[in-house]
Amino acid sequence: MSSRVTGISLKKLKKYKMLYLMLIPGVVYLLINNYAPMFGIIIAFKDVNFAKGIMNSDWVGLKNFEYLFKTEDAYIITRNTILYNLVFIALNLVVAVALAVLLYELKNRFLPRLYQSIILLPYLMSSVIIGYLVYSLLSMETGLINNTILPLLGRGGVMWYNDPKYWPYILTLVKIWSTAGYLSIVYFAAVVGIDHEYYEAATLDGASKLQRIFKITIPLITPVIIIMTLLQIGRIFYSDFGLFYQVPLDSGVLMPTTNVIDTYVYRALLKNGDIGMSSAAGVYQSIVGFIIILISNYVVKKINPDNSLF
Amino acid sequence: MLTGNEQVDLIVTGGTDFSRQVAQGQLLPLDDLLQTHGQDITKAFQPEILEATKVEGKIYAIPSIRDFASNTNVLMRKDLLDKYNLDASKVKTLDDLDPILETIHKNEPNITPLGKPGASASIVDRILENSWDILGDYIGVLDSLDDLKVVNLFETPEYEKLIKTARRWYEAGYISKDAATSKESAVDLIKANVGFGVIQKGKPGALAQTEQRVNTKLELINLGKQITSTTNITAIMLGIPSNSKDPERAMMFLNLLNSDRDLINLIDWGIEGKHYVKVGEKSIDFPPGVNATNSGYNMRQGWMFGNQLLSYTWVTDNPDLWEEMDQYNRESKKSAALGFTYNPSPVKTELAAITNVVRQFQSGLENGALDPEVNLPKFNAALHAAGIDKVIAEKQKQLNEWAEKNNKTGS
Repeated sequence: MSSRVTGISLKKLKKYKMLYLMLIPGVVYLLINNYAPMFGIIIAFKDVNFAKGIMNSDWVGLKNFEYLFKTEDAYIITRNTILYNLVFIALNLVVAVALAVLLYELKNRFLPRLYQSIILLPYLMSSVIIGYLVYSLLSMETGLINNTILPLLGRGGVMWYNDPKYWPYILTLVKIWSTAGYLSIVYFAAVVGIDHEYYEAATLDGASKLQRIFKITIPLITPVIIIMTLLQIGRIFYSDFGLFYQVPLDSGVLMPTTNVIDTYVYRALLKNGDIGMSSAAGVYQSIVGFIIILISNYVVKKINPDNSLF
Repeated sequence: MLTGNEQVDLIVTGGTDFSRQVAQGQLLPLDDLLQTHGQDITKAFQPEILEATKVEGKIYAIPSIRDFASNTNVLMRKDLLDKYNLDASKVKTLDDLDPILETIHKNEPNITPLGKPGASASIVDRILENSWDILGDYIGVLDSLDDLKVVNLFETPEYEKLIKTARRWYEAGYISKDAATSKESAVDLIKANVGFGVIQKGKPGALAQTEQRVNTKLELINLGKQITSTTNITAIMLGIPSNSKDPERAMMFLNLLNSDRDLINLIDWGIEGKHYVKVGEKSIDFPPGVNATNSGYNMRQGWMFGNQLLSYTWVTDNPDLWEEMDQYNRESKKSAALGFTYNPSPVKTELAAITNVVRQFQSGLENGALDPEVNLPKFNAALHAAGIDKVIAEKQKQLNEWAEKNNKTGS
């Protein structure tokens, strides 16, 4: 990356003027959509009074942040958010890459497209619908598992929605089912882009299928894997609200294992609708996410500078 | 809508939304406007009712005129009561329901004996709001209606007894195992012929209106006398947002909503001859060929707009419904804190944490899914950790200040 341009001279500006011109719409979009709203960060530090307006509302320092750290829930929701996301990132990666490789190995021309559509479908479903699909399996009185499957195995019903201990598994399963398909398509595109000659050469040298996968495919899509993973790590402090709120059907009993930062904030502010406090949660999540992405990018850069994001 | 600072001239508000909007300066004080453009409103109300909506001496919104009191009802299907020769009139307390529920549970395996009064309300929810003055949000309630002492509802012996009853019903199978997560109300269940009864909030006309909805005959039992607290009155109101461009005209319209019979009936029922026809002096019905599904204007939400006493009654209702309603309101047991509206903003940090605790335990306990022996102490410990004592102290302080200013005392 030593040839990177540093500083803009007038000559270069002239030379690349069409390119700069083409840059403008993108930059304007970024400014309006991503930078202008950052002004809203000040809301997190104010006691917003609509009669006075945002600018004239009183400053309250960090008071809006207090509720996030006040009780032992703070520990539970932070732990849940981070651990769930770590598990999701790791499992999604493994499952999605495996799916991508399997799709590529199919010799038939049409089957991969069919399979792609099928595994993508859950990703396009609203979490409310997913919630009720799960409910049709787990409902304690009318669900498929309690009424058909468990009796077949000679076992009694399980109170799924009253027992938090099952939910880390249920949620992980649902999450992988709904997002791995989407990620696998990204990886599939990367695998398809690999030059055939590598494989032909490897086959001539007598490499087995597994060897070809682990020595050619995986190393060559590593940059894509790292970018996708870094992007997800940046959002490790955010959680899939629909998954944690809709899928357990907002069952309070399950909160020890289903409450995450986003659902905590939603529940806390549902009644009082305080925008200062909700902005505080957003600011907190963005700052931690920003720091985490800087750290992980730094680590990647240490290991292999070419694979880092910036 | 107000958070987005949209242009609105009249907005439906009430309950905790109302106190928040007042605290955040989103509603205009209406006292001056009432004098200049709202004389009919002042005439339409009993003075004590409008008085009760005041926050720090000012009126911020006008309640719609409707039931300003509520009591606890039990509604049960008449056909099933008759089939098993059950005498509902003997029911005086919740415990008296047990034999009836047991008979239904034993003989009708496809029927859930007791359903929820609303999609997200618990089985016993309506008993709470009709037995205590909940002072706006349940977090700190009046110990008794005659006394200005704020206590933690979830630590009262009455609450414990209530959730033990719910637990007993749950374990006996009278309540669905899915009650805490299901969004199905008793009305849905009864309509689908898989429900039997419900503990509901009562008001004049409730029986006829529920029968309309479930399409079968019901029997009603009153459990306890109706009460009036500030919450009953401020539950549904119309206010003028502070960003209204023309508050004077908004007030004129509000004035008409409380005095103009034609306007009220237009909003409540639609166009005469097209959406309804008169049958008799006060009653109306669908015109020939029109029914609930093809009417095109069948909101039945008259309780939201202005003076409901001016509207016609539906043919299925008692034609004297509004006289009955008026009497019901007058005869209700008034809370000692009637007129006190609580401002939660000084303790909003604690309330945010408390709301999460309540969401974790309340529905499970009140639908019987959680064992009270273990979980009620846990619930209260978590509430204390989240700062309920501070919230109750703040509420008590505001209540004392209010009482002093208005010369109120608990008797």
